Amino acid sequence: MKNKITFGRFEATCITITLLSTQLFLNLPRIMMEAAWTAAWILTVYISLLALVLFTIIFKLYKRFEGKDLLDLGEHIGGSIGRIIVGVIVLFFLLYIAPVILREFSENIKIIALPQSPLSFVMIFFVAGMIAASYLGIEAIVRFSAIIVPIIIAGYLLIIAGSIQYTDISRITPWLGSGPYEIFVKGIPRISVFAGIILIYLLFPFIRTYRNFKTVGYASIGLSGFFLIIGVLVFSLVYQYPTGTESFLPVYQLARLIDYGRFFQRVESIFVIVWVASALLHLTTLLFLIVYVFKKTFKLEFYKPLIIPFSIVVYTLSFFPHNLISAIELEKSFRNLAWIISFLLPIVLLVIARFIKKNPKKEAGNA
Amino acid sequence: MADADYIKLIKELLLFKEPQKVEKFILKENKRDKEPGEQENSDAINVDAKRKKSKGMHLNKNSESKQDEKQKQESNEHGKKEQKSEISEKLSVNLEYMKRIYSIPQNGDIILREFDIVVKDKVIPAFMLFYDGMVDRKVINDDILQPLMLLSNLDIKGDEKCIAEFVRNHLLPHNQLNEVKDYRKVIDEINFGGCGIFLEGMDSAFAADVKGWEHRGVERPNTEQVIRGPQEGFTEILRVNTALVRKILKDEDLIVENITIGRRSKTPCSMLYIKDITNDSLVNEMRRRLENIKLDYIIDSGELEQLLEESGFSPAPQVIATERPDRVASLLSEGKVAVILNGSPFALVAPATLAGLVHSPEDSYVRYPYANLLRLVRIIGILFSLLLPGVYIAITTFHQEMIPTDLLFAIEASREKVPFPSLVELLIMEIMFELIREAGIRIPGPIGPTLGIIGALILGQAAVSANIVSPILIIVVAVTGIGSFAVPNFSLGLTFRILRFAYIFLGAMSGFLGITVGLFIQGIFFTSSKSFGVPITVPFGPKTTRVWGGNELIRSPIWKQERRSDYLNTKDEAKQPNISRKWAEQDEGSGNNEE
Repeated sequence: MKNKITFGRFEATCITITLLSTQLFLNLPRIMMEAAWTAAWILTVYISLLALVLFTIIFKLYKRFEGKDLLDLGEHIGGSIGRIIVGVIVLFFLLYIAPVILREFSENIKIIALPQSPLSFVMIFFVAGMIAASYLGIEAIVRFSAIIVPIIIAGYLLIIAGSIQYTDISRITPWLGSGPYEIFVKGIPRISVFAGIILIYLLFPFIRTYRNFKTVGYASIGLSGFFLIIGVLVFSLVYQYPTGTESFLPVYQLARLIDYGRFFQRVESIFVIVWVASALLHLTTLLFLIVYVFKKTFKLEFYKPLIIPFSIVVYTLSFFPHNLISAIELEKSFRNLAWIISFLLPIVLLVIARFIKKNPKKEAGNA
Repeated sequence: MADADYIKLIKELLLFKEPQKVEKFILKENKRDKEPGEQENSDAINVDAKRKKSKGMHLNKNSESKQDEKQKQESNEHGKKEQKSEISEKLSVNLEYMKRIYSIPQNGDIILREFDIVVKDKVIPAFMLFYDGMVDRKVINDDILQPLMLLSNLDIKGDEKCIAEFVRNHLLPHNQLNEVKDYRKVIDEINFGGCGIFLEGMDSAFAADVKGWEHRGVERPNTEQVIRGPQEGFTEILRVNTALVRKILKDEDLIVENITIGRRSKTPCSMLYIKDITNDSLVNEMRRRLENIKLDYIIDSGELEQLLEESGFSPAPQVIATERPDRVASLLSEGKVAVILNGSPFALVAPATLAGLVHSPEDSYVRYPYANLLRLVRIIGILFSLLLPGVYIAITTFHQEMIPTDLLFAIEASREKVPFPSLVELLIMEIMFELIREAGIRIPGPIGPTLGIIGALILGQAAVSANIVSPILIIVVAVTGIGSFAVPNFSLGLTFRILRFAYIFLGAMSGFLGITVGLFIQGIFFTSSKSFGVPITVPFGPKTTRVWGGNELIRSPIWKQERRSDYLNTKDEAKQPNISRKWAEQDEGSGNNEE
C-alpha cells in the first residue's frame, strides 16, 4: 500500500474542521437549544469534551495500526469480506448525509439569496463545484482547504464579533436549562455532532504517521469544539430560548443583526460567500470520500469514472425529502445515530483487530 | 466517415480512458545532515546531491537510452540526405558541395570569395563563404582576407609541414578560429554569422566566428519599469544577456549551460543556475525538458515557455518571463533556474508561484513598508480586475439589499433611461474596452493618439449621453481596466482578463453563489497546478514554513530574510547570517558598555 499523496498536519486539520464545523451554518445551534434549552452551550461543551475522550480511546487503540484506515482494519479482521462490510457501512453513512447536506444548503441559499430560482438550478452549482474538485483529487482539495478555511474562520469570527453587542447574560439563565439528566445522559448521542471525524480514520494513509494522526485529531476536535461552543453560546446570548428554537439558520440570523455604522448595515450577503465556500468544501470532501471508499471497498483501480455517477446519485437522492423541514428531520435523525459509525465502529474494529494476530510475513505479502 | 469521427470525438469526451502512467516530476528535498549554510558541510551536501542526481539519472535511464537511439536514427537520416559529411582534400569537390548546399547562385546573400594564398613559395587556391550582413566586414577584411592574401608573401620563419598548421599558426590572426573536419560544423557556423575557409590540399576547413549583425543595444526595459533600481533590460543577443546577469552576480558558481533548440534553426539557448544553491533535481529537470524539445524553428522565449510548462490548460502562467537582468539575478540567487533564448529579450525563470507573480522587481529596492503597500495595491488591483464586474452584476441583480439606500437611488436613477439589462450593458462596455486595448497595441504609432480620442469619446461622453450605458457602469469598467494594468505579470494579467468574463456570467446567473462556485473551482485549479514540481499556491497551500516571513506574499525587512524559500529545497538555505546588520549589534554593545 504505497501512497504517494500525503499532506501535512495543517492541511489535514483544516479539512477536518470543515467537516466538523459546517453544521454551525445549518441548524446546529437551534438543535442544541431544542435539546438543552438555555443550557445549549453547556451541552456543546459536554459533547466536545466527550468527543475528545472518545478520540483519546480510539487513538490509543490505533497505536498498532499506523497508516491503516477503517477499510484496512476490516480487511485485517475478516479479509475481503470484512473490508466490504465496513466499506458498505461507511458508504451508506456518507450517502445518507451528503444528499441531506446538499439539500439543506441549497434550500438555505435559495431562501437567503435566490428566492426565484428553482432548487435544481441552485443545486447544479454545488454539484458542478463538487465534480470539478473531485476530478482534481484530494491533494488539490486539501491544499485549497488550507487556504480557504482560515478565511472562512475569519468570516465566522467576524459574525460572532459583530453580534456580541446584542448579547445579554440573563438570556442563558436558568443555567441548567432542561435539566442535568437531559443534558448529561440524554445528551450523549449528540456526540454525533463530531461524526465528521470519520474523515481522519479514512484518510489515515494520507496522514501517514501516528503522531500526525494524534495532532490532527486533537487540533480539529478542539478547534471545532471551540467554534461550535462560541457559536451556540453567542446565539443563545442573543436569542432567548423559545425564540431561538424558531429561527431558521441561526448564524445567518446573527449576521443579519450586524450593523457597522450607517453605511454597512446589510452585509450578510457577503457572508453568503463564506457559507457557500464552506458548504462546497464540505460537500466536495463528502463526494470524494464516497468515490474513494467505493473504489477501495471493491478494490477498483481508478476512482475518476465514479465521480459523475455518484454525483448524479447524490443529486437525485437530495430530492427525496419533500421539503426543507423533512430534510432537517433527516439530519436530526442522522445526528442521533451517526455516533454508532464514527465512534463505535472504529472502537469495535480496533478492539477486535487487537485480538487477531496475523503472521507479519503474510501480512506484508498481502500489502 | 465524418459521422464516425464525431461519434469517436463524443466517445472520447464522455468515456473514461485509463490514464497513462507518467512519473511526474517532484522537486525533491536535499538531505540535510547539519545546519545548512555552513561552509564545512557544503561539500557533503554536494556529494549528497550528486548521489541523488545519479539516482535520478538511473530512473530516467530507459527513456533516455531510447531517446538517444532515436537521435542517432535521426542524424543517420540526415547524413544520408547529404550523402557525405567529411571534408575532402580537393578544393573543387568542396566548392561544388558548398555551392549545392547554399544554392549558389540563387541565394543572394551568401558571399563566396575565391582567392590564392602563398605558402612557402607554393600557390594554393582557396575560397571562403559567409552570409552578407551577418558578419563583421571589417574583421573579415582585416583579420582574414588581408593576412591570407598579403602576409603569405612575406618570408615567415617556421618549419611546419602541414598546411593547416602553418596557416593557423602564422597566417590567420583572428582570435576565434576552429579547425573542423565535418561539413555540418562549418555549415552551422556559417549559418550563425561565421565564415568558412577552405584550402586546397587540406581535409579540414577553418570556421571563424566573425558575427557582426545589426542589433539593438542595451536599453531600458519596456514592460517592467521601475523608479528605483537598475534601468537595464535584456536585448536580443544571448551573450549580451548572459553577461548582463553575470555582471550583477559576479559569482564563479553561476553556471551558464549551452543548449541548442530547434532541429533546423539550431537556436542557442542558455540555462543559468547557481551551482551550489539550486537543487540538482530542478536543474536536471530543466535540462531534460530543454533537451527534449523537438521542433524545426523556435523564434521567441514565448514559444519556449509554452513548450516547457507542465499543463497547457492551467489558467495561471507556470514560468516567470522577465526583461530585467537584475530580476533574473535575484531569482537565481533564490535558487531558481533561468533560461535565456537567443533572439528574445525575455528570460524565463522557473519555478513560478502565484505569490511570486505578484512581485515587482522594485519591491526589493524600496523600504519594506512601501513594498508591502505596493503589493497590497497590486492584490487589490487583481481582485478588481477579476471580480468587480461580476460582483457589480451580482449585487444589482440579486443582492440589492446590500446597497445602501441612497446609493441604490443613485444607481437606479442613472440606469433609468438605459434600455438594456445590466448584463448586456456591462458586456457592451467590456467588449468595447477590450477592443480599445487590443487596437491600442496593434495601431501604427502615428495614429495612436486618435484611438485615445475615439476611446474616450465612445466610452465616456457619447455612450452616456446616448443612454446606452449608465455612468456608474463606466466607473466599474474603468476601475476594472486600471486594476488589470496593475498586475505586474503580463501573462497573469491575461489570465484574469479572460476569467473576468466567466465571473460576469456566473454573477448574472446566480449572484454570489455563482461567483463563489467560480472562485472555488478556480482556486482548486490553481492549487492543483504545478510549476516544475512546485505547487503554484505555495506557501499557503500546501503550507510551508515561513508563510508570512521572508519574501513571499508579504516582504519582511531585508535583514530578516535570512533563508531561501522552503519550497525550492535549495542546497544552501541561508542567505545571510541571523544578524546581518553586525554594526547594529556593535552599536548596542558599545552603548551598553557606556551605561
